[in-house]
Amino acid sequence: MKAFEYATALSTDSACELVAGHGAYLAGGNDLLGLLKDYLVPGPDILVNIKSLPGLNKIEPGAKHWTLGALVTVGQIENSPEVKAAFPGLHEAASEIASQQIRNVATVGGNLAQHSRCWYFRHRDTVCLKKNGDLCYARNGENRYHSLFTGNDCISPVVSSLAVIFTALDATAAVLRDGRETRMSMAELYQTAWKTTVAHNSLNPGDLILRVEIPLARSRSAYLQASDKHAFDWALVSCAAAAEVADGKLKSPRVALGGISPVPHQVQAANDFLAGKTLDDATASRAADMILAGATPLEHNGYKVPMAHALIRRALLKLKA
Amino acid sequence: MSSWPAETKYISKNTTRIDAPAKLTGQAHYASDIQADGWLYGMILRSKWPAAKILSVNLDKARQVPGIKAAITVKDFPQTIRFYGEEIAAVAGTSKQACLDALRAIEVQAEPRNDFVVNEDDARKENAPQVWDGRPNVSPGRSREQGTVDQAFTECAAVIEGSYSTAVQIHHPMETHGNTVSWTDDGVTAWASTQGISAVRDGMAGALKLDHSQVRVITEFMGGGFGAKQAAGIEGVLAARLSREAKAPVRLMLTRFDNSLAVGNRPSSFQKIKIGALADGTLHAFEMNAYGTPGINGGANIPAPYIYRIPNTRVNQSTVLVNAGPSCAFRAPDHPPASFGMESAMDDLAVKLGIDPLEFRLKNDSNEIRQREYKLGAEKFGWKEKYQKPGSSPGPVKTGIGCAGAAWPAGGASRRTQGEAQINPDGSVEFRLGVQDIGTGTKTVIAVVAAEMLGLKPEQITVKTGDTNYPPGPTSGGSTTCASISPTVYDICANALQQLQTQSGLADARGDNWFAACKKLGVTPLVVHGQWQQGLSSSPAYGVQFAEVDVDTETGLVTVKKVVAVHDCGLIVDKLTTESQINGGVIMGMGYALYEERVMDDLSGVVLNPNFETYKLAGIADVPEIEIVLINMPERGVIGIGEPATVPTAAAIGNAVANAIGARVGSLPITPAKILAALGKVPPVAKS
Repeated sequence: MKAFEYATALSTDSACELVAGHGAYLAGGNDLLGLLKDYLVPGPDILVNIKSLPGLNKIEPGAKHWTLGALVTVGQIENSPEVKAAFPGLHEAASEIASQQIRNVATVGGNLAQHSRCWYFRHRDTVCLKKNGDLCYARNGENRYHSLFTGNDCISPVVSSLAVIFTALDATAAVLRDGRETRMSMAELYQTAWKTTVAHNSLNPGDLILRVEIPLARSRSAYLQASDKHAFDWALVSCAAAAEVADGKLKSPRVALGGISPVPHQVQAANDFLAGKTLDDATASRAADMILAGATPLEHNGYKVPMAHALIRRALLKLKA
Repeated sequence: MSSWPAETKYISKNTTRIDAPAKLTGQAHYASDIQADGWLYGMILRSKWPAAKILSVNLDKARQVPGIKAAITVKDFPQTIRFYGEEIAAVAGTSKQACLDALRAIEVQAEPRNDFVVNEDDARKENAPQVWDGRPNVSPGRSREQGTVDQAFTECAAVIEGSYSTAVQIHHPMETHGNTVSWTDDGVTAWASTQGISAVRDGMAGALKLDHSQVRVITEFMGGGFGAKQAAGIEGVLAARLSREAKAPVRLMLTRFDNSLAVGNRPSSFQKIKIGALADGTLHAFEMNAYGTPGINGGANIPAPYIYRIPNTRVNQSTVLVNAGPSCAFRAPDHPPASFGMESAMDDLAVKLGIDPLEFRLKNDSNEIRQREYKLGAEKFGWKEKYQKPGSSPGPVKTGIGCAGAAWPAGGASRRTQGEAQINPDGSVEFRLGVQDIGTGTKTVIAVVAAEMLGLKPEQITVKTGDTNYPPGPTSGGSTTCASISPTVYDICANALQQLQTQSGLADARGDNWFAACKKLGVTPLVVHGQWQQGLSSSPAYGVQFAEVDVDTETGLVTVKKVVAVHDCGLIVDKLTTESQINGGVIMGMGYALYEERVMDDLSGVVLNPNFETYKLAGIADVPEIEIVLINMPERGVIGIGEPATVPTAAAIGNAVANAIGARVGSLPITPAKILAALGKVPPVAKS
């Protein structure tokens, strides 16, 4: 990789100042080091270690919402009995991410900000749209892992499992941008990737995710993913559902999917449809139909449609329990 | 004629690997751990084009990178590149980063070519780009015909036709390929991760124009080969040349990326099989048209109709060359794809006949040992209780079972295997054999046989292997090592006892008398030689496996719940290491069945999954309960087990999946995508 300077930031302001458009933040480093070693992104002049930033490594319960610092590790989430009780779907999502070793160091911020896993993007010798090339190799090539929905010519899907469950939980990210704290819904955090081939999220260079806030509005939640293997494998499709259930009826239901779109895939009409319903197979199936309407399968990824359909139904039915 | 003892204390029993403590504590030094004085890192520059003419390579800027001590090209120019990843140049330097920087500083002048082809079907077309000038991509292979095939099909009560295919499997041993090589005025020493120290010595000497005696190869520990590490390799010769230029030892271990491109693979297969049986279930007619690709070189033929004898048989095969890395031996070459195609067709035909697939095999497989194994395995597995009609298991997660048989006819033993033992007056004894332990437990086998024959304990035997300064041993290929060294150690022991008894005057120097006999040697150790003897080993090995799977018909996920592996390997030398081979064979076979596949990109010609992220290997969470049933047959002598253990696994799993869902997934690996497609759940491609 390209040579770089290294600095440890002790405050968020100094972290932003050090990165200043020509550096990169280093937390868990899982995604960043892979990108740098294969020269997939322009090498930063400086890596700014943010692991010592105070206060960002805590899971903090609150009366109306919980706060997860950006430096909270996936392992911390996985191993927190409180998280498991309050947001079972978040616990499930964290448990499915990568391997134990990676979960021990991977952070909330890094998981949300991680780059595309498209094998053309990740290949050192192909220059695809995401690398400012003029061609998406996947569209007519090996697209088994790619999107069913997209708003641009790139079909690489969002792979952050946390983004999917956070979307279902209607969580908000607090982002430090140009010296000011900005709040972004999960939809906002990714929307740029919907339209822009080179983007994998809406963060600008130098933006720093500080926290994620999860409202205590949905006591039931579930996360499911389907992969080729039983562990340490990416989700082919992932699905999260969350709601409050009162008298057997869904309140504020939200469903989101990963692996099928550059953004966490959600359909407001389906959420609206589910509101006030009693869950049964037919209702869950109808919601799945609505969520997947308009999917455009390519040569090798059509299997994601029935797979997503099954995961939506199962995740929703899990909310009953 | 020699024979193995009828009553044994260690042979056929459980002896823990004698090097387990060294491995578990990190004391065992693998090729990739060797740190020779002043060693440098070595790295290879590979082609980023699948086809190109390299006009020139300028190494000047690479040599100027701080820390770089040597830079060389692989060939003279112009060099024709025929696959993505072909070697162009190599560098050696004081750090990994220096080498990486140097690789990027090498200036390659090339004419990339667009006329390449990386997939089999395209390469077979007329007017397909030619991989080699003046040589067609498709070459006919082993073809044969016996009986009256067309007539015979009309006599069958049931006939099925099916397409079965297997993917290219990449060699990914835990330790990548590589060596540390030191070239001094005294000659070359190579610490090699190899299956054949003698072959590496001879190959390196030939490539470097040195006498065999000037090259020494050492392999104390190595992390797996599976067929791909039987020669010096391009990387070995490059390490030597870099060492000569740098005047320092060079450690050139391939990266995982490198290993994905150029160290060899198991060829793909596309088998169209038509098979028919008479009303009583007797196989009567068989026809196969098959092709596969090894890459730019190698063959893709498979044995057909594999382990069955069918009176009317027609087989047409061809090998299709493509612009991709070449094939090489891969754990039971040709057999796992042959087993998958044939055993899948067997089950499909059994379904059509309405016969239990196990009964169908017992009727048509005349081999007595497999007959025994099927019956024994069926009982352990509970076949009768578990068998249900295809697709009849209730609910979205369906259970299914399947079985398949194996044969490993190649191999036997290397008759030229030699070894020696030094017996010291204090009773300590050291065995020295120029064989290498590739992780199978060869050192332990030597200790077990020696302990048995000398009446000592395995831990009293010092075993030295993996050095070409020892008497020559075999390359560890074809599952021949155990059958080569066990008779050799037997012979060394027989000679040792004879001489020791003569010199000491004791009638029996074994066991309790050992130390007294040795003491009579005075001050001079006894060194005795031995060699492979007939009558103590044989071949072939057979084996059958049963698999039980759960298939989630909504997500396509296959979970292998249980495998019962019934195997024979003649006289079992050490039960633990034998079982270890079978566990490994089943796990590797499961990876072949469900996960492993080299994915090439048609447009760019690159290997798309040169890493463990997307070249998927079975992990511990995927591994089922494996129950091993061994049939010990001392009367057959020692037979290898490494290869037969992996042959039938994919076929048994594939049959279990078909039994579960009531539809055939005829293509390996059996991914969730293919399961959902076989169930008719995948929507058509959207029109854009």
